[in-house]
Amino acid sequence: MENINKVYKETPFQTAGPFLHIGCMPNSVGIEGIYNSDIGTNPFPNKQSEDLIKITGSIFDGKGEALDDVLLETWQSDENGKYSDVFGFARFVPDKITKKFSLFTLKPGPVKNFDGKLQSPHILLSISSRGLNMSLNTRIYFDDDNLKNDPLISFIIENHNDESSLVAKKIDKKNYLFNVFLQGDAETIFLNL
Amino acid sequence: MKKKSLLERNYNFQPRINFPDYKSSILRAPSKEKISFPSTLSEVSGPVFTTDILGKNDNDLTLNFSKNNNSPLGHKILVYGTLKDQFLNPIEGALIEIWQANASGKYLHPNDTTPTPIDPNFAGCGRYISASDGYYEFLTIQPGPYPYPNRGIEWRPMHIHFSIFGKSFGQRLITQMYFEGDPLIKLCPMVNSIPDEKAINSLIGLLDTSKSSSHNILAYKFDIILRGANQTYFENKKEGL
Ligand SMILES: [Fe+3]
Repeated sequence: MENINKVYKETPFQTAGPFLHIGCMPNSVGIEGIYNSDIGTNPFPNKQSEDLIKITGSIFDGKGEALDDVLLETWQSDENGKYSDVFGFARFVPDKITKKFSLFTLKPGPVKNFDGKLQSPHILLSISSRGLNMSLNTRIYFDDDNLKNDPLISFIIENHNDESSLVAKKIDKKNYLFNVFLQGDAETIFLNL
Repeated sequence: MKKKSLLERNYNFQPRINFPDYKSSILRAPSKEKISFPSTLSEVSGPVFTTDILGKNDNDLTLNFSKNNNSPLGHKILVYGTLKDQFLNPIEGALIEIWQANASGKYLHPNDTTPTPIDPNFAGCGRYISASDGYYEFLTIQPGPYPYPNRGIEWRPMHIHFSIFGKSFGQRLITQMYFEGDPLIKLCPMVNSIPDEKAINSLIGLLDTSKSSSHNILAYKFDIILRGANQTYFENKKEGL
């Protein structure tokens, strides 16, 4: 079903700037009483906390400084690899003092792709902030999963890139570490979605 | 099974990530080339927001933070338009969130240190879910321009920030609307990070005098185009979905 219509140009991005919390998470900056609650504070409110994992990390700039004025958004499947309309989206910011973010969520399951092949469990991560003229996108995989057959990971390895920046490290049964480096030798792999 | 794939982005129509005239980008913009790959179910799916999350004044910024029926300072404006994809199909059910400075160019945010007053009746946030024909509207006040440190002190043109969730995570857009006739637009490094003049012009809300006269407020029209997707059907193995 080829689309033969004329294709118009997408409206361009502009930076989200330093005050994006007003629009996206107003309660988090003390603007209370307009929205009942901020969107995305709990990606799986239908689950018990003992079923969740915790992913922590920081977003580092080119000087190695951990940022606290970024907005992070994640999108993922449930534990069975199914996407739903209402669950799986999260929004969060790093802690002002520790500069670390914490995402409490389900460990996603393997997602079946259009061709029926499985993708390894992963979470999409989008980063918006002052200084970023377009939001950045990457993926969080998990180092205790088999990643060899994942189509994106294999593609990266085939193209002589190091996939390790996309892989969260297991700390213990419930905890993973995932740092993002915007620049430098350890620069994270970012994706054109 | 239906396969959806997002249209490839035209980066000539997008801002440059590395644009040192905008100082904050110097330590934040990645330098390596991004990796492109075909869309998977992960990018073409996304959260769905429904109107039951909305309060009655969520798209009326002149009311949603007002105390004792006091209006915020500044003149009222109506910002409206339609949300479509790159084939001009209207997009229904998209969450549109906006934020902006008050009439004196000050954000109600702990990190805003501009030496201008906050407005106790204005928070500067609003949201809406697009209608079946892609229509959206916000009643608000004219945001002021504001100074910020860049190459010395520079001034942002008057603008409203927009965040939009279409039908998929890969369709997500964060941008800004500017105002027709503002002389600060062409001086702004964030604007000029976009190399294409037509692309810049597509971010400028146009004064709509027809709507302005009937509503006793100034109206600005800002149409938004989100990334489109191709859909194709293809065979897959018996075990299917
Ligand atoms: Fe701004």
